[in-house]
Amino acid sequence: MSLSILVWVPLAAATVGLLVPGAGSRFAGIPGAAAACVLAIVTVVRFKTGTPGLQFVTDETWIAELGIHYKLGVDGLNLFLILLATVLFLASAIWASFTEWERPGLFFFWFGLAESGVLGALTAQDLALFVIFFDLMLVPFLFLTGTWGGDNRVAAIIKLFIYTLVGSLLMLSAAIATGVLAPGNGITFVLSDLATRRLPTGSQEWIFLFFAAAFLVKMPAFPLHGWMPDGYRAMPLPVLAVFSGILSKVAAYGFLRVVLPLYPNASVHFQELMLLIALASILYGSAMAFTTTNARLILGYSSVAQLGFIVLGIFSLRPEGAQGAIIQAVNHGLVVAPAFFIVALLAARAGGAEDIRLMGGIAFRAPVLATMFLIVTFALLAMPGSSNFVGEFLILLGVFRAKIVFAIIAFSGVVMASVYALRMFIRAMHNRVGPQVATREMSFADGLVLVPLVLAILAFALYPQIALNKGQASVVRSIGPAVQVQQQASATQHAEVGP
Amino acid sequence: MQASAWLILLCPLIGCIVIGLGYRVWPARVVGALGTVAIAAAFVFAVNATLHLQDRAEDQRQVVYTAWDYAVTAGVDAKLSILVDPLSMFMALVVTGVSTLIHLYSIAYLGGDRGYARFFAYLNFFVFSMLLLVLAANFLLLIVGWAFVGAASYMLISFWYRRTTATSAGIKAFVINVLGDVGLVLGTFFIFKQSGTLDFLGTFAKAPQVFPKGSADITAGCLLLLVGAFAKSAQVPLHTWLPDAMEGPTPVSALIHAATMVTAGVYLIARMHPLFERAPAAADVGAIVGAATLLIAGTIGLVVTDLKRVIAYSTMSQIGYMIMGVSAGAYVAGLFHLMTHAFFKALLFMAAGSVISAMGGEQNLDKMGGFRKAMPFTYACFIVGGLALSGIPPFSGFFSKDEILLVMGEQGGWKWALYVAGYLGAFLTAIYTWRMIFRAFHGEAVEPARDLEDGHLYHPPAPFNPASGEEEDVEVGFPGPEHHIAERAMPMKAAMSLLAVLATIGGVVLIPKTTTWLDDFLEPSFRGSSVVANPDDTLLVIGLILGTVLGLLGVFVAYTIWVRRPGTSARWVERFSFLHRLFVNKWYFDELIDLLVVRPALWFGRWGQQTFERVFVNNALVGGPSGIVRAGSAAVRAAQSGFLRAYAALLLFGVVAVGLYFLIQSA
Amino acid sequence: MSVDWFLVVSALVFCIGAGGVLTRRNPLVVLLCLELMLNAANIALIAFARMWGNVDGQIFAIVVMVVAACEVCIGLGLVVAIYRRRLPIDVDELRELQG
Repeated sequence: MSLSILVWVPLAAATVGLLVPGAGSRFAGIPGAAAACVLAIVTVVRFKTGTPGLQFVTDETWIAELGIHYKLGVDGLNLFLILLATVLFLASAIWASFTEWERPGLFFFWFGLAESGVLGALTAQDLALFVIFFDLMLVPFLFLTGTWGGDNRVAAIIKLFIYTLVGSLLMLSAAIATGVLAPGNGITFVLSDLATRRLPTGSQEWIFLFFAAAFLVKMPAFPLHGWMPDGYRAMPLPVLAVFSGILSKVAAYGFLRVVLPLYPNASVHFQELMLLIALASILYGSAMAFTTTNARLILGYSSVAQLGFIVLGIFSLRPEGAQGAIIQAVNHGLVVAPAFFIVALLAARAGGAEDIRLMGGIAFRAPVLATMFLIVTFALLAMPGSSNFVGEFLILLGVFRAKIVFAIIAFSGVVMASVYALRMFIRAMHNRVGPQVATREMSFADGLVLVPLVLAILAFALYPQIALNKGQASVVRSIGPAVQVQQQASATQHAEVGP
Repeated sequence: MQASAWLILLCPLIGCIVIGLGYRVWPARVVGALGTVAIAAAFVFAVNATLHLQDRAEDQRQVVYTAWDYAVTAGVDAKLSILVDPLSMFMALVVTGVSTLIHLYSIAYLGGDRGYARFFAYLNFFVFSMLLLVLAANFLLLIVGWAFVGAASYMLISFWYRRTTATSAGIKAFVINVLGDVGLVLGTFFIFKQSGTLDFLGTFAKAPQVFPKGSADITAGCLLLLVGAFAKSAQVPLHTWLPDAMEGPTPVSALIHAATMVTAGVYLIARMHPLFERAPAAADVGAIVGAATLLIAGTIGLVVTDLKRVIAYSTMSQIGYMIMGVSAGAYVAGLFHLMTHAFFKALLFMAAGSVISAMGGEQNLDKMGGFRKAMPFTYACFIVGGLALSGIPPFSGFFSKDEILLVMGEQGGWKWALYVAGYLGAFLTAIYTWRMIFRAFHGEAVEPARDLEDGHLYHPPAPFNPASGEEEDVEVGFPGPEHHIAERAMPMKAAMSLLAVLATIGGVVLIPKTTTWLDDFLEPSFRGSSVVANPDDTLLVIGLILGTVLGLLGVFVAYTIWVRRPGTSARWVERFSFLHRLFVNKWYFDELIDLLVVRPALWFGRWGQQTFERVFVNNALVGGPSGIVRAGSAAVRAAQSGFLRAYAALLLFGVVAVGLYFLIQSA
Repeated sequence: MSVDWFLVVSALVFCIGAGGVLTRRNPLVVLLCLELMLNAANIALIAFARMWGNVDGQIFAIVVMVVAACEVCIGLGLVVAIYRRRLPIDVDELRELQG
């Protein structure tokens, strides 16, 4: 089964959807997303555990003079992220079909293009291809937000776009430099080849910083998160669910796929800087999350904090940390999409307001919604027993063994997470009924979107091992070069200090 | 035995899921019965498993059963496994036994409440979590159980979620619990760093080799485990959530905040005893904090006016005894006190619930009095519980408390201070316990009592929140409009009677010099413990006599102050006004935590919102690149003036320039 | 006759045309001046054809005339459209295609 089908089927289906007349175009997004989801499940089932190499590889030479190949492949790093992407896009497509958009065919075309872009970025095994898909996946969101978004959408989305693209510009120049400066015969952008051709340390460092800038803007990480409040307020909620759920994870994945294997010396050199940025994201994001009153921004700032944990795990440069980062990426996406959906449900019951000061007492007459929300809240704050906790445990263990002080400070982020998550739940669902609240139970259609996601969260909580099994070998291979550099560095240090 | 062991865990979980899924379908009687039967079944399976365990040879009584791999990767070996050994079976028996009785009590107590099904589902979930905690065979599963118990506690404290007081109490309890979780996880890291395995038995086996006595790693690890224990068991300074947790319905207070959840810290230290024995500094910290808590809580109990809060502070104090005991090495004594305390404290809470119902929801002792004639059964239960709590023979509390203090005395050295503190605490315990009983039941009968003597139950004119006094919106239907007292509700009476019997005779399992049933039962779990336990006879006799004397003295003092000479307490308040203020304000812990933790965090968040976000991030970092790009494009745009003649001129002169250039070049 | 004279005439006419395009405001006059420039190019082409003795230049001149004709059609069409919409017939005023 070719990965190309998986990557391009959403776009193809969406293009066909443009031609569907009238009433049918409301559901135009669902067939493509469903097909991609089925294909992703098939891929996961047929994936052979334990081998570190790529599987289901497609490798065609694309631009021979520049050494760019159209190469797609799946291994432990991106397997579950691909599944997550397809699941989230399917859930959002179903969710989006509940609303009456203007020109729904066009809406779902952009949606399909976004999904193809994301899947391409996740499966690309060629640096140039990765950069192309990385930039491509952002373009549909410009149109989705600019046309169908909320107040102040144009200014917000242009700000977001420019900011992200500045980062992408840096990444592009760094990618070109990598291809050009890599020692060896001829020019190539294929990742597996580049991994064997190590760049000189000086080049590695500035290239690393450029890549880091691009990825950190995307996540977002403190202090490059300024686009987030306006952007999150402007996007329509189904779009925001996938944006927050999966696009930020592509950036984290990018670190593990591209940066760590290709620039190990720089990764070791800048380890403390990245850990510091991650820590700042955790603390700042959490503090902002429990003082803001807009429900979307609570989730937005909490994403800043959670992505901070993921970066922390990646740059612990230890296998348990990296494993934790991968599983946490999947977990966070799986939790944040239902959370945004619940925000939509809450707003519908509070007269359209998304401010938690205007909510309250919604749990009455909506026990199923309250239960689902409580489960999602507990998963969001990474309560032990959820898969999110396993991810956090592994991440913090990795950081503990690498640089213990960072781990100890990061734990305060865990406590703050419990405050902001539970605060949102209580202000929305409990206490006296808010001024504009008219509460009612979830409809069957709402349940169709929410219940499978919550069941997935619960299933994953019972058996997180499934993701850990498939990921282990690839993770070790990804951080291997960096770990080696680190060991060599400490060996030479000891030799210098010596007798 | 494996099936029984797993079923202990699964019965409450199944009960929770069945009740939860069918919340609209089952009628109230079925829900109550289902919930109680689920826990009773778990109790039966626990008994079964214990009997099978006893059939095995003494050195084979620590068995691990594994279900599947949970998080096995990169050196971490966490599996879904349970450990069946005397300690976990002891805890399981106490938890399921007392829980069954409390479920029975709740069937009647919460009758008429709109959230009836929700209550039983949550309560079953709690029992499942607690059993997971005590049966866990590795650190990760213990932490999962620990957190689930905290979550269940939150859900039950804020059960009547219309009350802002209840929801604030819930989030406070939860956040402090998470702080404990963090301590637990960090402690696990320190221990795992050296032991390389998360499994309990594996870690304990390796402990002598990898943890030199008093090394930094094991001391740090144990201290952090203590943070977890203190948060869960409401020890100073992480105790501020427990009094507020009384917002939950009374059965919740009885089960979670008296008998089971708060004892998890005691279980933790007992389970980790091989590690604590290698970190004497941490063990000493535990003992000192336990002693401090028992005194501080005792003093606050003297002045608090809310009936449930008196019992709450009493719980805090008694758990101080248990923590002090297990930290110092008196494992069996500490666990013995855990069991007896579960009996008489649950009994006291149940009886308190009965009194509060009779008062129509009012919990303030100042407004109570003279219920002796109206509620004889409840009064009898209070007396039995009070006698057990005060440590008066032959009630169970007497034996268990003195065992702990005996070990303190045996160890000598600076532990004599703890010995004295313990007995001082016993004296205070007797005083505040009987203060509570005398104020509620003796003296002049208040209106609800007189109504009850006439035969009808008092109902307040408008439903109100007992903590804040504000009126409730009962259109939502809860808290239920009905009040149930023990004298009129058979399930309540049955549960309370059984507990009263247990509180009376419970001490029989470990009477010094006579029976050693508990000691023998728990022996396999504490084999190899380096703490010597050979009671010195003189010390034993002195302790027993001292305990009895102080208990009776306390009753007498309470009787004098609150019954014989009614104005005495007012005079004493005036004379010791500074102390009184200190106690009434709970030693200012809440204010201290607010100042040190809450305010800085909120300040940081607000500073971020208003200043940092706006100025730095938005204007500089985002506005910057954005602005530069905009300025650049504005500059370029100036060339597109739409002015035809400018275009023509540019075209012409451009061509001329290029042509001249090539001309001159070729020349 | 040497070819220089023809080139001078061509240059002169070209400059007059260019000056007209740059300075006149009426689009009709601008089109006329454009025609002048094109015809100046034609003169130069024919002069060179005569110099080299083959007809390439003349053929090219005819091509230029065809192009000029087409472009004038479109230009006049635009002017008529502008007149019909009652917009000012002034090249400086017609600047909506600005960035």
